[in-house]
Amino acid sequence: MKLLEALEVLRNAPMVEAEALPVCLVCGFTPLHLQTLIAAHLQQRFPHRRVRIETGLYGDCLAGLKRVPALQREASIVVLEWADLDPRLGLRRLSGWSPADLPDILNTVAMRAALLEEGIRCAAEAAPVALTLPTLPLPPVSYTPGWQAGAFELSLQEILFKLGATLAQRPSVRVLEHQALDARSPLRERLDVKSTLSADFPYTLAHTDVLAELLAQAALPPMPLKGIITDLDNTLWSGIIGEVGADGVSWDLDHRSQIHGLYQQLLRSLADAGILIAIASKNAPEFATEGLKRADILLPLDKVFPIEIQWGLKSEAVTRILKAWNIGADSVVFVDDSPTELAEVQATHPGIHTLRFPHGSDQQAYELLEQLRTRFGKSAVSQEDALRLESIRSAYQRTSDSGGESNPEDFLKQSEPVLTVAFHKDPPDPRALELVNKTNQFNLNGKRYTEGQWQTYLNQPETELMVASYEDKYGALGKIAVLTGRRDGARFVVDSWVMSCRAFSRRIEFRCLQALFDTFGLEEIRFDYAATERNGPLQDCMREILGAVPEANSILTREAFLRNCPPLYFRE
Amino acid sequence: MADIRERLIRCFAGTFPEVSEAELPAASIATLGIWDSLRSITLMTVIEQEFGVEIPEEELEQFVSFALIEDYLEREAGGGAS
Repeated sequence: MKLLEALEVLRNAPMVEAEALPVCLVCGFTPLHLQTLIAAHLQQRFPHRRVRIETGLYGDCLAGLKRVPALQREASIVVLEWADLDPRLGLRRLSGWSPADLPDILNTVAMRAALLEEGIRCAAEAAPVALTLPTLPLPPVSYTPGWQAGAFELSLQEILFKLGATLAQRPSVRVLEHQALDARSPLRERLDVKSTLSADFPYTLAHTDVLAELLAQAALPPMPLKGIITDLDNTLWSGIIGEVGADGVSWDLDHRSQIHGLYQQLLRSLADAGILIAIASKNAPEFATEGLKRADILLPLDKVFPIEIQWGLKSEAVTRILKAWNIGADSVVFVDDSPTELAEVQATHPGIHTLRFPHGSDQQAYELLEQLRTRFGKSAVSQEDALRLESIRSAYQRTSDSGGESNPEDFLKQSEPVLTVAFHKDPPDPRALELVNKTNQFNLNGKRYTEGQWQTYLNQPETELMVASYEDKYGALGKIAVLTGRRDGARFVVDSWVMSCRAFSRRIEFRCLQALFDTFGLEEIRFDYAATERNGPLQDCMREILGAVPEANSILTREAFLRNCPPLYFRE
Repeated sequence: MADIRERLIRCFAGTFPEVSEAELPAASIATLGIWDSLRSITLMTVIEQEFGVEIPEEELEQFVSFALIEDYLEREAGGGAS
């Protein structure tokens, strides 16, 4: 984005009445165009809010960090440069680059790094922090030639890597991946000497833009996608299995098809991180299944569900997979080597993301792997991620076994369900925000929160947070429902209520409300309800709970709840 | 030359969003209270990027009004500033 475009984005931002999106920027130099471009990138991502960037104290990163906890921001962005670690590593101070100064510079850097670590840790308790370590080339401080890494440079890097690695272990600190920056902003084109000396703004505009875009993403990251549907022939493996048989397809160095092995390896890694993987292939099932059962395959069958191998349209296979997963097409990537198949699926499922597995170019195929990692990457892997596929598979299996016609009462009784409800908000369970932000179908009002908003909301003394975990004799679903609201004596206002689609049809919603009534001795619950394009299942459920069509601020009394609540079979 | 004026108005409008476009051609440091040193840096950077020019530091001090900057850009476009 050019600077003028950024200014125009901000100029056209919503007016004062739009909800503010306050973000704090801490850096030791004049923030100037970095502030403008970060604001513009955030404004593009959050067009209905009004981005406000508050900057720290000029020339003092540590003092800026100290102010962050009091500022109530939704995120903080911390940009470190060499001068923040020791002014002698910057261009605006003339205090010696003699070899004799180097040990003292290292000592200062180590000391400052410790102080910065503490400052960033404190700031991250108030709101998530996006952090970048120095991105500029190191000035010619040392006596070694430019092509040689001396002990001084390497020791500096060691201190910085340690700082980054320590902070990256905290869930609320996201350290910018410098390889992502390097790929788009060449090192030699980052430093603007004239601007550093005249205005203490060290970056070229091109570098500022890339850095701003990545920092905006790290500060308020988009939700990762949920599932990948992959083709088999010339995608999961090289070759057409119907022609060459299971032993003829390959994914190894000997057959020059290693890139397909790497693709399998990546899918396995994503599956283990909770991403859903399915197969849609036009093939004879008996041939294709043989290939999937080969002992050397890197994506085992138990990591994939559903598997759709048939000769019908791929779009129909995708429809069935989306139904089994119970998620929308816009959360899914479809990978195939055939542009025709990609277009056919896209035409039927316009929201789906389609990616072509390139034929004959390992380089392009490798780029596809990088792209998948970025689209599905997440900051942490939770216990629920490991349970997701299994619970979808067993729910699907139960429906198939019963032919969809079993008596629901009998099923609920014999499944021996247990719902564990916890009211803890300090520290808040990170799974709670994840569920609130990614659930569409059972969602009271579609309200989303940034991490900072969520923290501020939970910090209010009257706010309560309920997280419910479910298991039955078929296995555990993990944490599947979240309800938040504010208590006022015997009344409760529900601000958010979401439930994973995997947990539908088990009367968990009634058990949650029962727990709410009982735990706080409530007489009535008011719902901050709003219909959205996608919360149809929630609307149906509310109709059942209320015994009436839900509307904004619908009220449920204890008496009405007891009247409308069906039998519950939960075990204690 | 009309093109230069339009593009310059865009640069000024981005830098001074508080000022109406009609007022911008008459803008100067003397008449615009919000035109401080930071806005000057932003304005010059935007102009350099939009017009693909590098403004010599010795010229910067003269850029105190829309009219003077427009003159400079017109001279540049006509074969270089004198």
